[in-house]
Order: sequence, then structure tokens, then C-alpha cells
Amino acid sequence: MPDSIHEHALFSAFDALIFQKTAGQFECLGGLPSWFPPSGVLQGPEGTPEKLLEVSFFLQHFLRDVGPWWESNKVGQMKSGLWSETAIFGEDVILEATAVYQGGQRYLVLQRFGSDMLPVQPLLQKAREEQLSHRASIHLHERTEARLGTQLAKSEQERDDLLAVLDGLRLGTIMTDANGVVTFLSGKAQELLQVDSAKVLGCTLPAGLGWKGEYTNRIEEMGKVTEAGRQPISVVVERKKRPSVSLEVDVHDDPRGSRKKILFLKDVTEVEELRRQLTGPTQFHRLIGKSPAMRAVYERIRDIATVDVSVLIQGETGTGKELVARALHDFSLRKDRPFVAVNCAGLTESLLGSQLFGHKRGAFTGAVQDHEGFFEAADGGTLFLDEIGDMPLPIQTTLLRVLQEGEIIRLGESRPRVVNVRVLAATNQDLPSLVESGRFRSDLLYRIRVARLQLPPLRERREDIPLLSLAFLEKARVIIGKIGVRDIAQTAMQCFLRYSWPGNVRELKGALDYALIHCRSNSILPDDLPPEFRELSPSIGSLSGPGVRDQRQEILEALKHVNGRRAQAAKLLNMSRSTFYRRMRELSIPMDDQSS
Amino acid sequence: MVQKKICMLGGFAVGKTSLVRRFVSGIFSEKYLTTVGVKIDQRTVTAKGKELLLVLWDLYGDDDYQKVRASYLQGSSGYILVIDGTRKETIDVAIRLHEFTTATLGPIPFVLLLNKYDLEDEWAVDLPMVSDLGQKACLVSTVSAKTGEGVEAAFAALAEAMTSS
Ligand SMILES: Nc1nc2c(ncn2[C@@H]2O[C@H](COP(=O)(O)OP(=O)(O)OP(=O)(O)O)[C@@H](O)[C@H]2O)c(=O)[nH]1
Ligand SMILES: [Mg+2]
Repeated sequence: MPDSIHEHALFSAFDALIFQKTAGQFECLGGLPSWFPPSGVLQGPEGTPEKLLEVSFFLQHFLRDVGPWWESNKVGQMKSGLWSETAIFGEDVILEATAVYQGGQRYLVLQRFGSDMLPVQPLLQKAREEQLSHRASIHLHERTEARLGTQLAKSEQERDDLLAVLDGLRLGTIMTDANGVVTFLSGKAQELLQVDSAKVLGCTLPAGLGWKGEYTNRIEEMGKVTEAGRQPISVVVERKKRPSVSLEVDVHDDPRGSRKKILFLKDVTEVEELRRQLTGPTQFHRLIGKSPAMRAVYERIRDIATVDVSVLIQGETGTGKELVARALHDFSLRKDRPFVAVNCAGLTESLLGSQLFGHKRGAFTGAVQDHEGFFEAADGGTLFLDEIGDMPLPIQTTLLRVLQEGEIIRLGESRPRVVNVRVLAATNQDLPSLVESGRFRSDLLYRIRVARLQLPPLRERREDIPLLSLAFLEKARVIIGKIGVRDIAQTAMQCFLRYSWPGNVRELKGALDYALIHCRSNSILPDDLPPEFRELSPSIGSLSGPGVRDQRQEILEALKHVNGRRAQAAKLLNMSRSTFYRRMRELSIPMDDQSS
Repeated sequence: MVQKKICMLGGFAVGKTSLVRRFVSGIFSEKYLTTVGVKIDQRTVTAKGKELLLVLWDLYGDDDYQKVRASYLQGSSGYILVIDGTRKETIDVAIRLHEFTTATLGPIPFVLLLNKYDLEDEWAVDLPMVSDLGQKACLVSTVSAKTGEGVEAAFAALAEAMTSS
């Protein structure tokens, strides 16, 4: 027990709760501190300082530790460390207990710290917060890095997967930027084009790939059309020491900007080869057609091209006589020398004469200069005289002499000039009947028709009509600028197949141009055709193909001619009897019983 | 009523105080106020049909500034080891504290909690990383003091484990 008033005053000044332990009992010394009773369970009459020692879990725990120490009678003190106990003191009240052994007495001192009174708290708080925020920023950094890393890896993976798929599909890929500069070239594309991407990247297509301007222009053109209207472009790539490849190039807009393009290269070499094998030659030089009649023409051209003689090419107007002449020239030994074509129709005698043989200055009014004629111009090469049936007789005479002597004399000159020219002549007239009527010299006829070549009219090779019309369409839609028109409707083709084509291939080409100009959809319809096709309604039925009507007519006429005797009719038509019967059945021609 | 002392152990700011506050008062605060010293709370629960007073010793976060005193662990029937699921490094602290506790008290029941599970985007810990520790715990669980997810169940599991031992 404190017996001094001074002691009491001293304890009070600490603002602490001080107990003295005597005979197993704790007794509170001095006055109560300002913080007692606290805001929790000790409120009320029961809430004595001694009660605190009972209810505080922490103090009980501490006193268990302190007991043996007090018993050891060592002078000094033992601290509990800071603690708080919500149920007793409420939040934010921190205390510390100190056990003291002094002068043989045991004391327990309880001190309270407000959060403001604890210098250690803000320090710790700051240190820990700093550590947290530092860590957070590192973490953010790491996560961003990791995310970018995965995204990059993912997009690279996706790109690789995509390329593997494309390569697997045998699709080459080229990407170009808004300026047409190549930014990407897949492995397959490099293989197909036999180029090294390092040499192509950064170049434009014409510069990087060395393709013909024709191809790159078409690719560029195609890029300007809306995607729906685009067509694959056929490109044939010649490769060093390896067979050439046929490619179909699809032009797509890059989804990231339509001025950037993605080109897909499809290797169609095999397909092309198969197609060629299946269809046989569909074209010879610039002549188109795979009908037996045309194949015979091709063969004949090959046969006579290299024999250096005059050729008379006969055929109706528009059958392509000049194309034959050019083919003959190009397959001849003269192919590197000039090919000169002259149309003999519609020119006056003197004009045609000076055109062919040339003239001296002043030879006639208007001849202001010396003039070299076509014969001289064609020296060493080929002169093609079209419409030779219209050539005036005096010119025929001169021509005959030139052909016989191998020299020409310019009008107004007397000096002959040696010329070495192969003459190819063409006509759509029947020259022998012109000879008969005295309008054509027979000796010239014999001279020019050393070799002869007959071109069939289109109506006699109707099976070539689809091929021809599609070939013309392919060219014309680019020239006319209707790239979207891709084919000819079956109904329109039926009209073409039924028409008699007096103007032959030239007329077909004209009809196609007309139709293309009038066409509003992506295929040519009967309504787009010129007026002469209007009556040819496709109602006859799709079974009757080219030439069907003619054949039926032919057979009926033959039967009529021989009074219905089939064996004779067959003979007349140069057919075996079995073929004849089969045809009759196919063409539903009724068999009259009385005829054999 | 039977009393059981439970210590909350873990690195600083892993959410020990928040978990106790969620469990005792059902509230949560985003503000971080680091615990100085020992903070004592209590709540009654029923385990195996018996009422039990859990006395929760929320110990300050163990770090370079403050080390948990062995004497504070004395008398514990179990403990809750808390890891901050958004900070991997708090696993190491948990492992260290587990070793320290076992050395001081011998093996007693504990639950291992991966706290802050609501922060999915920042989640950085997965179960294999804590599997060694987890095998010794009577429960390993992801929890959130913020949403309360898993908190009751974790304390219940520990209470259960303490009554049977
Ligand atoms: N989002 C979220 N935040 C939490 C969660 N638990 C705790 N926090 C926050 O984390 C910070 C630290 O929480 P405390 O409960 O103070 O952590 P402590 O482990 O007691 O920290 P010390 O006392 O310093 O050891 C505070 O800002 C809390 O709001 C949780 O489950 N989710
Ligand atoms: Mg805390």
C-alpha cells in the first residue's frame, strides 16, 4: 500500500493504470487514468480496474508469462508489446502493459497510446505503403509486358498457322501497301514465282516480279473494281530452268485498308494442263476453233506455210482470211521480214497501181514525191492481197508480170526493181466464174492458186460458236470496260447457235460487242443481243444443238429427192445405212412403211 | 464456454485484419491501416453442436520491421495463414511463418487462405504454388474479405478441426 501522498500524486501523473500485486491479489494504486473506464464491456458499475485484468485475454496471457518471471525476483521490467482489444477498448485504442519488479514489490502498469501518440505507426504505415505501391507498379509493368508478349506470340502463332494453311492449300500470298509496294510474300508465293522475298519486298509488283505489264496492269485495274465484281487474273510465269506455271491471281482488299491489297496466287498449272488435254487445240495462232473443219485448216496452214508459193485463201466475208494469211507468214521462213496487207476493193485503178508498185514524183497529178509501193515495202516478206477478185484488169496484168519476173517498175519510171515477195491472195468470190465472165484473168488465177486454202463459214462450224464467243467476251469486256460481265446465258447462246451468221466470225464479234454494251447484269441475256436475233426465240428446245435443224432438213430433202427410198437417200448423203437410220430416229423423222 | 485462441498470420497487408473484421463485424474497408502490435477480437461459433468462443489474435504483418513474437503464439489452438493472391511473394512469408509456428507450438490445425480473390485480373497465385503448404493445412481456400466469399467457411473449418483435436 502506498503510504505517501507523494507517491499517489506521482502515479496519477502517468495517466496509467497501476496495480500492485500482493498475496496473489492485484490492487489498483492511485487515481484512475483519463481513459478509464474504456468504451467497451467495462462500462457500468461492474467495470472496475481489477475486472479489466479478468476480461482481457491479452492481459491474462501476459500475466501467465509474467508470473514465473516475478517469482525469479529479478529487478527490472518486462513489456507486453502493444496491443488492442476491440471488445474492451473499441477500435484504435492501443495499450501496453509493463510488469515491474522493484524494491521487492511487483507492479503492473497499463499505458494507453492514441494512434497519434505512436510515432512508430505512421512510420510503419509509410514504409509498408511505399513497398506496396512500388510493388504494384512493378507488377503492372510485368503484367503489361507479359500481356504484350502473349499477344505478340499469339498473333505470330496465328499468322504462322494461317500461312501454313495457305501454303497447304497451295495458295501463295502477296501483300501490297497503299502505294502498291510489296510488304509480304509467303513461302509458297516465293516458291511459285521462284523469287527471293528479300529481292521483292519494298518493290512494286512490276519491278519486283518482272511480270509483263499486261498482268500488273490488270491486277491494278482489278483492284479498282468493287470486290464483288472482281475476277481472277490468269498469269503465266516463266521460270528459270523449271517449267512455267499457270496462276490464277485473286485480288482482295486488306481489311485494314482497301488501298492495301492481298493477292492470292492459285497454282492452276495442272488444271490448265488437264483442260488442254481434254479439249485439244482450241486455238491456232490467232485463229480460234476446235471443230474438225478448223483443225483441217490448221493442218493445211502448217503444211503450206513453209513452201514458198502463192496461196489463194477462199472464204466468205468475215471468216478470218487475213488471220490465215498472217499465220502463213508467221510460220514461214519469211517470218522476220515484213507482212504487208492491201485491200484491193474500192480503190481506183491508178491508186491501187501506185499503192502496189510505187510511183515517181510527177507521175500523175498529186504525185508530189517519189513513192515506194507495197511490193517494195514487203521485199523479203509477204504481201497479202485481200479481195483480189475486185482487182481491176490492168492491175491484174501488171501483177501477173511482177509475179512471173520478180521485178516491179514504179509508175513513171522505166527502171525495173527486183523484189522478192510471197503473195497471198484472198477472195470471197468464185474466181472461176469471174474468169468465165471475163472479169478475172485466168492465167493470174492459175498463178496465184498454186496452193489453196478454204475457210469454212461459221454456220458450218457451229460447235466453235461457244468457244469463239467466250474468247471474244474475255477480250471485249476488258476493252469495253465491263469486267463484271462474265458469261453468256444459255438462252442467249442458243440464239447464237441458231443464227445463220452471214457475216461469219466478224459478225459474231460485232454481235458480242453490241450485247456487251447493252448488257446490264453479269451475263449476256437474249435481250442484250442485236435485233436480228430477236426472232430466234429459244423455244425449239435445248436438245436441238448446232446443226440439228440443218441435218433434219438435209435428210428430209434427200428422202424427197429419192421418193422416200432410205438406202438411196443414205447413199446420196454419203452415209452408211445404219448411220442413216440412227440419224432418222434421233431427229424423229417418221419412217414410212412402204419405203425400204 | 470453451475458448479457442486463433492467430492470424501472414505478410503485411495480406488482409488479416480485414478477414477478422469481415468475420466479426461483417464490414470491409478499402483503406489500409497497418496493424501495430496485437489486435484481439472475438466471436462465438458452433462447431460439432458446441458453442465455442474464438479469440482471434490478429498479429501484425511479419516483415523486416516487425517479427512475430513466439510468446504471442503460446496457447493457440489453431491459426489462419493468409496469402495475398495478387502478390506471389506473400507465399514465402506464409511458409516461413508456418515453420516458425510449428517450431514453437508443434503441429496444430491451420487453414491456408488465398485472400483478395475478388481481384481476378491481378490474380497471381495458383494452387500448385502452395501445394506443399496446402497438404499440411486442414483447408486451402480462395477467399475475399471484400465480398466475404469463403470467409465463414474457412473459420468454420478451423473451428471444426480444433474441436476434434
Ligand atoms: N480487394 C480486396 N482488398 C482487400 C481484401 N482484403 C484486404 N484488402 C485490402 O488490403 C489492404 C490490407 O488489408 P489489411 O486487412 O489491413 O491487411 P493486414 O494483413 O491486416 O495488413 P498488416 O496489418 O499491415 O499486416 C487494405 O487496403 C484492404 O482493404 C480483399 O479480399 N479484397
Ligand atoms: Mg492488420
